[in-house]
Amino acid sequence: MKTKILKAIVTAIILTGSLFSANAQDANTILKKMDDVMYSPKDLTGKNKIVLIDKSGKQEIREATVQQKGNNKRMFRFTAPSSQAGIAVLSLPNDVMYIYLPAFGKERRIATSAKNQNFAGTDFSYDDMESKPYSDKYNSKLLKTEADVFVIELTPKVQSDYSKIIVNINKTNYYPEIMEFYDKGNTKIKEAKYTFNKVDNYWNAKEIEMTDLKKNHKTKMQMSDTRYDTGLVDDDFTVRKLKQ
Amino acid sequence: MERFAQKILKFKWIIILIVLVLTIFFGYQTKFLTINSDIISSLPDDDPVASLYKKIGTQFGGNDMGMIVLESDDIFKTEILFHVKQITDSLKITPGVSSVTSLTNILDIKSTVDGIEIGKLVDEYNLPDKQPQLDSLKKYVFSKEMYKGVIISEDGTATIILFTLLPDADKQAVAKDIKNKIEKLNLSEKFYFGGLPLMMNDISDLIKSDVVWLLPIVFAVIAIILLMSFKSLIGVLLPLLTAGIAVIWTIGIMIITGNELTIISNIIPVVLLAVGSAYTIHVLNSINHYMLKDKKQALIKALVYVAIPVIMAAATTAIGFISFVFGAYLTMIKDFGIFTAIGTLVALLLSIFFVPALISALSINNKEIKDYPKEKQTILSQVILKPLVNLLFKHPKYTLTTWSIFLLLSIGGTFLIKTSVNMADYFKKDNPTRISEEVMQKNFGGSLPVFVSFKGDMQSPEVLKMMIKTEHFMKEDPNIAVTQSVADLVEQMNDAMGEGKSIPDDRAKIEQLWFLLDGQEVMPQLVSEGLDIGIIQSKFASVEGKEIETFTAKMNKFIQENSNETCKIELTGMPSVYVKLNNSLIKSQFSSLLLAIIMVLLIVGAMFRSISKGVYATIPIIATVIILFGFMGITGIPLDIATVLVGSIALGIGIDYSIHFISGFNFHLKENGDADEAIEKTIMSSGKAVIINVISVAAGFLVLLFSQIVPLQNFGLLVAISMFGSGLGALTLLPVILILANRKGKIIAN
Repeated sequence: MKTKILKAIVTAIILTGSLFSANAQDANTILKKMDDVMYSPKDLTGKNKIVLIDKSGKQEIREATVQQKGNNKRMFRFTAPSSQAGIAVLSLPNDVMYIYLPAFGKERRIATSAKNQNFAGTDFSYDDMESKPYSDKYNSKLLKTEADVFVIELTPKVQSDYSKIIVNINKTNYYPEIMEFYDKGNTKIKEAKYTFNKVDNYWNAKEIEMTDLKKNHKTKMQMSDTRYDTGLVDDDFTVRKLKQ
Repeated sequence: MERFAQKILKFKWIIILIVLVLTIFFGYQTKFLTINSDIISSLPDDDPVASLYKKIGTQFGGNDMGMIVLESDDIFKTEILFHVKQITDSLKITPGVSSVTSLTNILDIKSTVDGIEIGKLVDEYNLPDKQPQLDSLKKYVFSKEMYKGVIISEDGTATIILFTLLPDADKQAVAKDIKNKIEKLNLSEKFYFGGLPLMMNDISDLIKSDVVWLLPIVFAVIAIILLMSFKSLIGVLLPLLTAGIAVIWTIGIMIITGNELTIISNIIPVVLLAVGSAYTIHVLNSINHYMLKDKKQALIKALVYVAIPVIMAAATTAIGFISFVFGAYLTMIKDFGIFTAIGTLVALLLSIFFVPALISALSINNKEIKDYPKEKQTILSQVILKPLVNLLFKHPKYTLTTWSIFLLLSIGGTFLIKTSVNMADYFKKDNPTRISEEVMQKNFGGSLPVFVSFKGDMQSPEVLKMMIKTEHFMKEDPNIAVTQSVADLVEQMNDAMGEGKSIPDDRAKIEQLWFLLDGQEVMPQLVSEGLDIGIIQSKFASVEGKEIETFTAKMNKFIQENSNETCKIELTGMPSVYVKLNNSLIKSQFSSLLLAIIMVLLIVGAMFRSISKGVYATIPIIATVIILFGFMGITGIPLDIATVLVGSIALGIGIDYSIHFISGFNFHLKENGDADEAIEKTIMSSGKAVIINVISVAAGFLVLLFSQIVPLQNFGLLVAISMFGSGLGALTLLPVILILANRKGKIIAN
């Protein structure tokens, strides 16, 4: 009788233990799969439309062409509105940016360590815009599995303004559908909604809608004419190129 | 009149029932009483300066800014930086808080050879913990104009944590939440809280405690005086009951009409208790006077006799209150005037309808009304009134001379009267809010917001250059330490582009610099979304009336010279509002007093059907008002939003004594035709009532000395002095004038 109980307990412990590890592994694997979906293209070019929507619903639209190589080099070149046409932003590794203002005919280097600042009037912070794999920056935990999505909680491994991010990852295709950002008081402060479509062999984030819940302000980043792996080289991401 | 009195007795139960129902109804309403301590909301909408201030406060969020000052011997210690970070983090996640700026999260922008470096001034994840690090941070902070005296005091012993609230936040609740949170952190440094949201929270706490503490004291004081005067239970209960009901009705009406309790209207209950009880006292007096076997007849006779004088007394008092409506700048003073007048009329109605009805109802059950003891005041007559009569008849000219000297001194004193509209002065010297305000002033350029609004194209070089020019002009004033505008940011960005700290002449360049500024957290506080309005935000360090006036005058001249079609400049902010308020204090004082005097003169003149008697009646009260202002000038009690009320209130209440005296004089003159004898008899009879009334009203108001709000303390003291003044005037100055007038040419009854 005793042995029976003991056996049951041991089995239970082993079961729970394996469950835990399975869970951890699962969450991490899922997140890695998401990173793969998001960051596997070698490069990307396309058109980006940035729609800023304030709390009264008023819209402001900016357009730019985007080039990106790997996950740490990116060039934005604005085409509209006309007053901002020609402005170009080059992001390089180690938080260095170069900005080119055609009216001045020169570029300046902007080094920013304040990553919680928003990028060019959008609701995306520099932190959000960074395309480092999530599995590098966050620990993950599977909260629940729903019909279509895995719900995973991310907690930062490094310094961050967020206390956690809750992400819904599509079960079949492993792209994120919703990300909810929480501040250190555990209040949801931002929310990103993703829409993906398939372009070539990759899943493409056709639209990301980021809402700042405190300011009641929204930014939609819409990608079109996306092309992958066109063979961009490091030379396409230099200050000289910025000014062209 | 008699039929009217009979009707009252006939319908006594209906009257009692109506009063009961209404009291329950209004009493239930008091559950919904809210406090509005926001003085900004009391600024009139029809004044351009005030409405612009309100608009800017809402649009650019300047009114929703709070400040916490942390003070220690040296801010540049790891432990203290850690505490600043703790507070910053805790504020950031407080619901209702929109943004926080402190030493540990402020952005630091450095220009380098080829661009700019944007970073945090202090790395909040890795606070400096070695002495050399701390020293170099200190040196760097003091080397930059944008930190010194802005986020850290010049001597390095105090730092400020600024926060803005979301526009739809419950400001008082957030303020309370923040204070609690900081208290819970249990830190050893000294903290000071400032800014309108926190100040409002403090004021509203003071209002609450004032109402809760003062009302019972006023009740008790008046009860004691009534008991000493009348030595009868009914003599105590009925006046307090009617005054209490009047308070409940008035507050109920206030709530139903959508009004809130303000720092001024919270004295309505005190005023009504002191004033409202008087009418019932008169009615009771009269009823007791006509003690007849037939109680019903006694009541009717008493009512017939007393109704007119009581109505007159209430009408003149109500006029004193109503006179505020026409001169006051702040809506809360107008509201005070209206509702106190309503309360006075309620008290009047109750004393005429409810009191006789109640007495009649009670006397059916209780066989006997408590007797009014007539001889009880003989001490008063023997010790005070009799010698007074002798003095007045022996030395009328000396008495008049004494009054004249007093009045001359007072007239001299009136030239010394100061005005005060500084909100910090409303708190006692040891009040934390006031101390905070002083700390802010000393270390961080004060907390009086100044806004200069520019209407025009915010991306045009001309408008931005005008903003810079205005800022330079402002900074010439020693009380303006820092100014901030979008033009400054454009200059900074132009500098970052390597073009020097100036506004580019090329509009295209400005538009592209804007790209760098867009989305910066500070932008919505400086420029409208449509880019058609920009503001300069600044703070004025002094609360001295003269300095404020000089500054606004200088600014207005500058604006007049520089404002044009393409760039319309306007000045607003607390200094401008203070100047307006200040001017309005004197103006409204003058106009409301003049109005009250004229109205009272007309009413009293009509009542006695003689203009000369109207003039006689107003002499003691005008003398009282002069003495009142002389006293304020000599003692340095300033004219402020509460004390500005005293003159007209004193007039409205104080005139009653003269009315009583002259009507007594009339009565006795008719009786035997000899003016001198009539004067003596009047002093001996009306004198008692006047003295009791003076003491009870004055004592009621003196309770305000215990108020937490300084202008209310002064208000209480001044009304009490006015009561003594007008009582004394009615009993000395008025008889002496009558005596002397009689000696010149006999006064005869008309």
